[in-house]
Amino acid sequence: MVKASPFAGYDAGRNYCEILGLADTHSPPNSVNPLAKRLSNYKIRTLNQRNSAAERELHNLGITFTVYSDAGAIDRILPFDPIPRQIPQADWKKIDRGCKQRVKALNAFLSDIYGKQKILKDGVIPRALVAGNKNFRKEMLGVKLPHNTYTHISGVDLIRNEKGQFLVLEDNCRSPSGVSYVIENRHLMMRSFPDLMEGVKIEPVSDYGMRLREKLTETVPGRYQNPRIVLLTPGVFNSAYFEHVFLAREMGVPLVEGRDLIVDDEDRVYMKTISGLERVHMIYRRIDDEFLDPEVFRKDSMLGVPGVMRSLNAGKVAIANAVGAGVADDKAVYAYVPRIIKYYLDEEPILDNVETYICREKDDLAYVLDHLEELVVKPVGESGGYGIVVGPKASKAELAAIRRAVKKNPKNYIAQPMIQLSVCPTLTKNGLRARHVDLRPFVLTGAEPWVLPGGLTRVAMREGSIIVNSSQGGGSKDTWVLR
Amino acid sequence: MLLARFAENAFWLGRYMERVESLSRLLMVTESFAADQDSDDAWAPILNVFSDTEEFAKRGRALTALNVAKFYLTDLQNSNSVVYASHMAKENARSLRHLLSTESWRNVSVFHSRILALQKRRFALSKLSEICAEIRESCFTFRGVIEATCYRDEVWRFNRLGAALERADQVTRLIDIKYFRFDRDDDHEAAPPDVAWWNTLLRSASGYHAFQRRYSFNADPADAAKFLLCDPHLPLSVTNAAEAAIYQLERLDADFSAGAGLEVKRAAAALRERLKSPPAKLSGRSLHRYLDHIQQEIIALALTVNARYFAPA
Repeated sequence: MVKASPFAGYDAGRNYCEILGLADTHSPPNSVNPLAKRLSNYKIRTLNQRNSAAERELHNLGITFTVYSDAGAIDRILPFDPIPRQIPQADWKKIDRGCKQRVKALNAFLSDIYGKQKILKDGVIPRALVAGNKNFRKEMLGVKLPHNTYTHISGVDLIRNEKGQFLVLEDNCRSPSGVSYVIENRHLMMRSFPDLMEGVKIEPVSDYGMRLREKLTETVPGRYQNPRIVLLTPGVFNSAYFEHVFLAREMGVPLVEGRDLIVDDEDRVYMKTISGLERVHMIYRRIDDEFLDPEVFRKDSMLGVPGVMRSLNAGKVAIANAVGAGVADDKAVYAYVPRIIKYYLDEEPILDNVETYICREKDDLAYVLDHLEELVVKPVGESGGYGIVVGPKASKAELAAIRRAVKKNPKNYIAQPMIQLSVCPTLTKNGLRARHVDLRPFVLTGAEPWVLPGGLTRVAMREGSIIVNSSQGGGSKDTWVLR
Repeated sequence: MLLARFAENAFWLGRYMERVESLSRLLMVTESFAADQDSDDAWAPILNVFSDTEEFAKRGRALTALNVAKFYLTDLQNSNSVVYASHMAKENARSLRHLLSTESWRNVSVFHSRILALQKRRFALSKLSEICAEIRESCFTFRGVIEATCYRDEVWRFNRLGAALERADQVTRLIDIKYFRFDRDDDHEAAPPDVAWWNTLLRSASGYHAFQRRYSFNADPADAAKFLLCDPHLPLSVTNAAEAAIYQLERLDADFSAGAGLEVKRAAAALRERLKSPPAKLSGRSLHRYLDHIQQEIIALALTVNARYFAPA
C-alpha cells in the first residue's frame, strides 16, 4: 500500500510558499526541498499525535496566557504548529540588515523629535503627525538618553508577497511581545521532533536573555557599575504574564510590580527587599506610558511607580523602552519611515514598506474612498489587529461603516493594498494545508542593534484568514534560520 | 537581595502545600478511625480542631461524614480545604514563578489541575482514603521535585520555613482531635480506645514502626503523644518541624545576611523552650492545653517573621 503523504491535497494557490517557493515552481515536495522531503516521511496521524503531546506539554509547563473570567483563571496556550518555517541564510542576511537599518533610523528619529526636531523644521514629516500623536510625550522633550536609544526592544512585522519579497507591515517600538514563544517553540520542537531537526544547521535562539541583559546594561547611565536591572510587570493578571516571567528568568533579574518600587527624595529608585531598600538602575517595563508614573501621567494608576519620571530626568534610572517611543510605531508615521531612513542615514531602505495611502493627505483619501473594497483600512494608534477592515472580505455593512468613519476622521486612518501573504504548510487533521504567515523579528538596541535570528512566525490557523494576531486566534511556529 | 513580596510568596507556597498534605492526612486518620466506629460523630472533632463549626453550619448541610469530608476536600470557600490550599499554592507560585525551577512550576500546575479534577468527581466515602492517599503522594512528589531542582537561595529558605511552621501547627491539630473526640466531656464514661487511636495516628504520621523500635514494648499512650510531639528524629514531629523552621532562619542569616532580628529570635526561643518542657501528664485536658500553648507560640513566631521580612518600610 502506498502511504499517503501529509502533502497530499496541499495547495498553496498563487501564494508564495515558505517551503515550496514561488507559485510557478511549487513542485512535488519529495524532490526539491529537504524539509519537505523529511515531512513527507511522516504519517498525518503521527504528526497530529506528537502535536497533541507538545500542546499538552505547553499547558503543563504553563507556557500560557491567562484569561480571567467570572469562573476564575483559565490558562490558554498559544496554538502551536509543529511545521517549522524556514528562512535561507541569504534571505536572513537581508532581513537582518534591513531591521537594523530601520531601528537605527527610528531611534535617530525619536532622539530628534525629543531633541532639536530638525526633521520637522526641514518639513520632511508634518509637524502635526508628531505633536498631535497620542503617544508623543512632551515630558521627554530635552531628556538625554545614553546612546540616544529609545526603542531598546523592537519588533518589525514583516510579510512576504507573492513574489517572495519581504515587506515591512508595521513597527513595534513599545512592548513588542512574543519573543518568549520564539524560544519556547524551539525548545518544544527539540523535544517533540528531534528527528525532524536532526542534522539541520539552524541559528540558535536560546541566548536571547543574555543579549537582552547585555543591551539593557549598555543603556544604563555610565557611572553605575554592576547596575541592577528589574523587569516591571503589571502583575499576574496581565495576559502576557508568562512572557514577563520568561524574560525575568532568562535574564536572571527580579520581576517586580509597581508596589515593590519606591523613589526617594533624591530621585533614586529602590526595590523593597527582605533586608530593606536596594537601588535599581534600569527598569525594563512592560506597562504602558500612561500607567508608569501617577505623578506625571494617569493619577489613578495603581500599576506604576510614583516619581520614576523624576528619577529618569535626574539621570538616576534608565527606562526601556523609553517613554514616548510609541510615536515611532504609529501607523501614520510608518508611511514616512522610508523618508526617515533616507533623512538620518542617507541610505535607501533595505526592506520596503507595503504601499500605504495616508488618509490625512487629500489625494490619498480620495483614492481610498474610491477603492475601499480593494484595500485594507487600518486605524492608526491601535495595535493587536483591532479595528482593521479587510476590504475584499468585508460585508457591505462593514464597508459602509468604515467609509463613514474614514470620512469623519481621515487623520485616523491609513490604507494599504491587499497583499497576498505568503503561506506555510500547517498541520490540520487532514494533513498539511496552506495557511498564511507573517514574521516578527526582534531587534535589541543598546549601543548598537542586534537581531535575534528568525523571530516569531505567526500563523492564521483558519483557512484563508490573513489575521495572524494571537488575540484573534492566530498561532505560532518555530522559525529556522538555516546556516 | 530577594524582594519582600517574593519571600512572602515562597513562605506561603510552602505553607499551603504542606496544608494540603496535612489535611489529606487528617481526613485519612478520621476516615480510618470512623470506619471502626460506624458513626458520623467521628467527623465533628475536625470542625472543633480548626474552629470551623460555625463556618460549616453556614453551609446548612447535615453533619455527616461525607459532608465534612467534602468541606475539607473540595469546598473552595473554605480556607482550610485541600482545593483552596492548592489554589493558593498555585497563585503564590505564579507570582514567584520566575524564581522557581521550571520543574517546580510544572509540578504545582499539574498538581493543581489534579486537585481541580476532584471537584468534578462524585465520590463516595469509601473512596476517600484512596483519594487522600493520591493527594499525599502528589505532595511527596512536589517535595521531591523542589528538593531536586531548586536553587538553595532565599526563596528556598522561605519556602522550607513556611512548610516547617505549617507542619508544626498541623501536627498539633492532628493530635488534638482526640481531645475533642473523647476527652472533653468529663462525664463521658465510654472508655476511649486509646491504643487503637494512637496507633492510627502514628501510622498516618509514618511513625508507627519507628515508635515500635524506639519504645519496644509496654509503651504507654502518653509515650505516643510524646513521640509525635517531641521526638527529634521523626520527620513529622512538632519538635522536628520547629527545629527545621529555626534552622532555615539561621541559614537566612548566615548565607544571605538576612538576620531574623531580636523579635523573631525571641519567639523561636519561646517555641523551642515550650517543646522542651512538656507537662508531666501528656493526656486529656493537660495535653490539650499544652497543644494550645504550642499553637500560640507557632502563631507568634509566624507573626514576627511576617513583620520582620514581609512588611518592608
